[in-house]
Amino acid sequence: MRTYGTNRSNALNWFLHRITGTFLIFLLITHFWVQHYDAQTATVVAQTLSSEQIEQGVLPEYSSEARAAVKAKFGPDATVTPYDVVMLRLADPVYAVLWKGFNILFLIFALHHGFYGLNNILSDYIRNDMGRLVARVLSWSLALVLLVVGLYAVITAGWTY
Amino acid sequence: MAVETLERPPAETTEAPVYEDDARIVRYKIRTGMFAWMAHRLSGIAIVIYLILHVWGLKALTDRDAFNALIAGYHAPIFKIGEFLLLAAVAYHAFNGLRIVLIDFLGWSPKQKRLFWTLAAVTAAIIVIGGYPSIYAVVTYFTGG
Repeated sequence: MRTYGTNRSNALNWFLHRITGTFLIFLLITHFWVQHYDAQTATVVAQTLSSEQIEQGVLPEYSSEARAAVKAKFGPDATVTPYDVVMLRLADPVYAVLWKGFNILFLIFALHHGFYGLNNILSDYIRNDMGRLVARVLSWSLALVLLVVGLYAVITAGWTY
Repeated sequence: MAVETLERPPAETTEAPVYEDDARIVRYKIRTGMFAWMAHRLSGIAIVIYLILHVWGLKALTDRDAFNALIAGYHAPIFKIGEFLLLAAVAYHAFNGLRIVLIDFLGWSPKQKRLFWTLAAVTAAIIVIGGYPSIYAVVTYFTGG
C-alpha cells in the first residue's frame, strides 16, 4: 500500500469549510440581488451589447430608479455610468462602511472556502507528498495575492469620488 | 461522505478490491449520491476559477474608465450566457452544500432522499427564475427584438 500524507490540522478547516459555506449562501444571495436584480443598485443589467457597441464605448442603460438615485446623490449633472451606480454604495459616507465591511467579509470567506475546497481536490489527485506541498503553497499564495488585490480595491473604492 | 472508488469499495462488499497503483485517474462508481458529489467538485472548480478572475477584475474599481469598460464588456452575449451558467453552478453548489451541512450537523441522513429532491426542486426554481433575465436578454439580442 502506498502511504498518503497525513494532516492533523484538517478538523478545524473541515468545520470552518461548513461554517463559511453556510454564511456564503446568505452573502451570495445579497450580492446577487444587489448586483443583478435591484432596480436601483444593479450594475450588470439584463441587456446585451454587441462587440461593436462595446468597442465604441456604449455603456448599459440603467433604470429610472438608478438614474434618479445617482442624480439625487451626486447632483443633477452627474453621469449615470456603471461606476456611478456602484459608487452609490461605496462612496456613500454612511453606507460605505457597511458595504465595505460586507465585501471584506465576503472576500475572506469566499477565498477560504474556495481555496480550501481546491486543496481538498488537489490532494485527492496528486499522489506524492512533494507535489501536494507545491500545489498547496502555490494555491494559498494565489489566494493571498487575491486577498491583497481585493482588500485594496474594496477599501480604496470611492476615495477620489 | 465515504467515497467509493473501484480501488476502495464499500466495507460490506466481499469482492476483492481492484488495486491499480499506477492509475492516474480515479474511477468512481456512479450512483445518485456519487453524481451529486462529482457535480459538487466540478461546479466548485468552475466557481474557484471564476472567483480568481472576478477578484482580479476588482482592480478596475479604482479607475472609472477601466471599470466602465469592464462592466460594458460583461454585457456581451457570451458573458450573458456565462452569467446564466454561473448562476446554475452557484445555485447547485450552494444547495448541495447546504444538504451536506444539514446531514453532517443536524443528522438529517434518515430524511436524505426527501431532502435531496426538495432542494433539487428549489435549486431548479432559482435557476429558472433568476436566470430568466439573462436568457431573455440574449434571446432578444439574437432574434433582433
